[in-house]
Amino acid sequence: MGKLLRIEWMKIKGYRTFWVLTTLFLISIVGINFSAYYLKQETTQNNAQVNMIMGAPFSFPNVWHTVSYLSAFLLFIPGLIIITSVTNEYTYKTTRQNIIDGWSRKQFIHVKIALVILLSAISSVVVFLTAVLFGSISEGHFSLLNIEFIGYYFIQALSYSMVALILSLLIKRSGFAIGIFFIYAGIIENVLGAFLNYKTSGMGSFKGLGNYLPLNTTDNLIPFPFFRQVVKFGTDSPVYVLLTLSMIYLFLYYVFSVRKFQNDDL
Amino acid sequence: MEVLSIESISKNYGKIQALKSVTFTVSTGTVFGILGPNGSGKTTLLGIVMDILQPTSGTFKLFSVNPVADHRKQIGTLLETPNFYHYLSGEENLRIAASIKERGTNDIHKVLTMVNLYERRSSKFSTYSLGMKQRLAIASCLLGDPEVMIFDEPTNGLDPEGIAEIRELIKKLHHEGKTIIMASHLLDEVEKVCTHVAILKKGNLLATGDVNEILVNEDIVEIGATDLGKLRSVIAMMEPKLNATENGQLLQLSYPVGKARLDDINDHCFKHGLILNHLSLKKKSLETKFFELTNN
Repeated sequence: MGKLLRIEWMKIKGYRTFWVLTTLFLISIVGINFSAYYLKQETTQNNAQVNMIMGAPFSFPNVWHTVSYLSAFLLFIPGLIIITSVTNEYTYKTTRQNIIDGWSRKQFIHVKIALVILLSAISSVVVFLTAVLFGSISEGHFSLLNIEFIGYYFIQALSYSMVALILSLLIKRSGFAIGIFFIYAGIIENVLGAFLNYKTSGMGSFKGLGNYLPLNTTDNLIPFPFFRQVVKFGTDSPVYVLLTLSMIYLFLYYVFSVRKFQNDDL
Repeated sequence: MEVLSIESISKNYGKIQALKSVTFTVSTGTVFGILGPNGSGKTTLLGIVMDILQPTSGTFKLFSVNPVADHRKQIGTLLETPNFYHYLSGEENLRIAASIKERGTNDIHKVLTMVNLYERRSSKFSTYSLGMKQRLAIASCLLGDPEVMIFDEPTNGLDPEGIAEIRELIKKLHHEGKTIIMASHLLDEVEKVCTHVAILKKGNLLATGDVNEILVNEDIVEIGATDLGKLRSVIAMMEPKLNATENGQLLQLSYPVGKARLDDINDHCFKHGLILNHLSLKKKSLETKFFELTNN
């Protein structure tokens, strides 16, 4: 795999869009958290009541949860990176050329999946460092309690990027794939989720079915972190159910993308 | 040894049958032309051999065994269009191809020089002209000095000088003992560089074999005289009997290649009191042959 990734590196090293988007993404992780931190400081500074309701989202151990939650809003950016990196190969027909030159189809698709994992891992490290940063400048002592949220973020990142990969394999054209990705992740799944939740609200064990749609499942791993003293958001589903389901979805994404690429006319 | 053997390969795109049970073999050391008009299935066939298209049915063998990805590392292939990363330079693109092939990266400058792209090696691929892109694709085929090369329409987009260079290159590679499989819709190109040929039309294999047997199998002698009727009867007396067809004011006589004797014809006519006003030997025009082959 190292040899294959070195070749992937040769492809992206000179690709400006990749670096612009990646840099933007990593800066935005710090940026979105800074905005929230700043806003929280401003609103609670001279208001004891608000301060009490808000709690201390940027102090350890809450900061792991808060930073993971906020950073996850940016996961459409690595999705975008994956889509451009894969659809580019179709546009330039370099998918064909790589196979012609002697890669197997299996190798090609596995390099792209490795890119998904690598990108998700790198952004998880940045999320970790961001949490350490904001935790350190807030009150309280360093703690690894709740660190599992970084892991949930990693799973969520994998999930968004794999969906982006699958759309790229299915659609093969960048503009169209990006459009569908945004419409699906931003609108369809939310609307469908809300509709299913509404329809199943009185159905006992089927209750909250909409929470188990592919992206909703991983989204729900990290519930809304603010005002937790006052009201609880998100699902009642135990984490292990969400985690198991997330793993199943990731496995299916993997199987589907490999099979799709193996059997396609390129 | 057989470099490639294709066994009853068919390919359907929905209802359209792009290949209909095509079978032929390519032996080591030949320049094998796959000839056919546009849309005859040439690229589809080579795409299947390169594993970028899935055959609907049929199999093929590379180097007499079932194909695997590593076989392709030993074959330099240009399929349909030059496929490169537009944002990378010519040299960087070749570096990627060479890394995938795992046959060394030392000869990148050498192959760039061979196709006259060395001076432009650091320019982005997107700045290349059509002909330069084509030449980079040919350079990529030469990487790692493979024993087998597949060129799909290799002279596409090249100027006359470039076309001549590529044909010379193919001949040179042939003399070095390489096997070359070349798809083309240009009969003249196949006739000039190939030793063997397979002719495809609408997915059907029409003929395959030695290029001299399939493409050029007769010479035409055109004769004319003031009295066409008399000419016809005089010619009819000739031994052996000849196949004569009328073409305007001329008669066309078919001979096996190299068997036409113009002085004998002239002598025969003169002896029978007929003066010819036209006598010429023509190789049967290749286009005519091509239409003949593809129109039945």
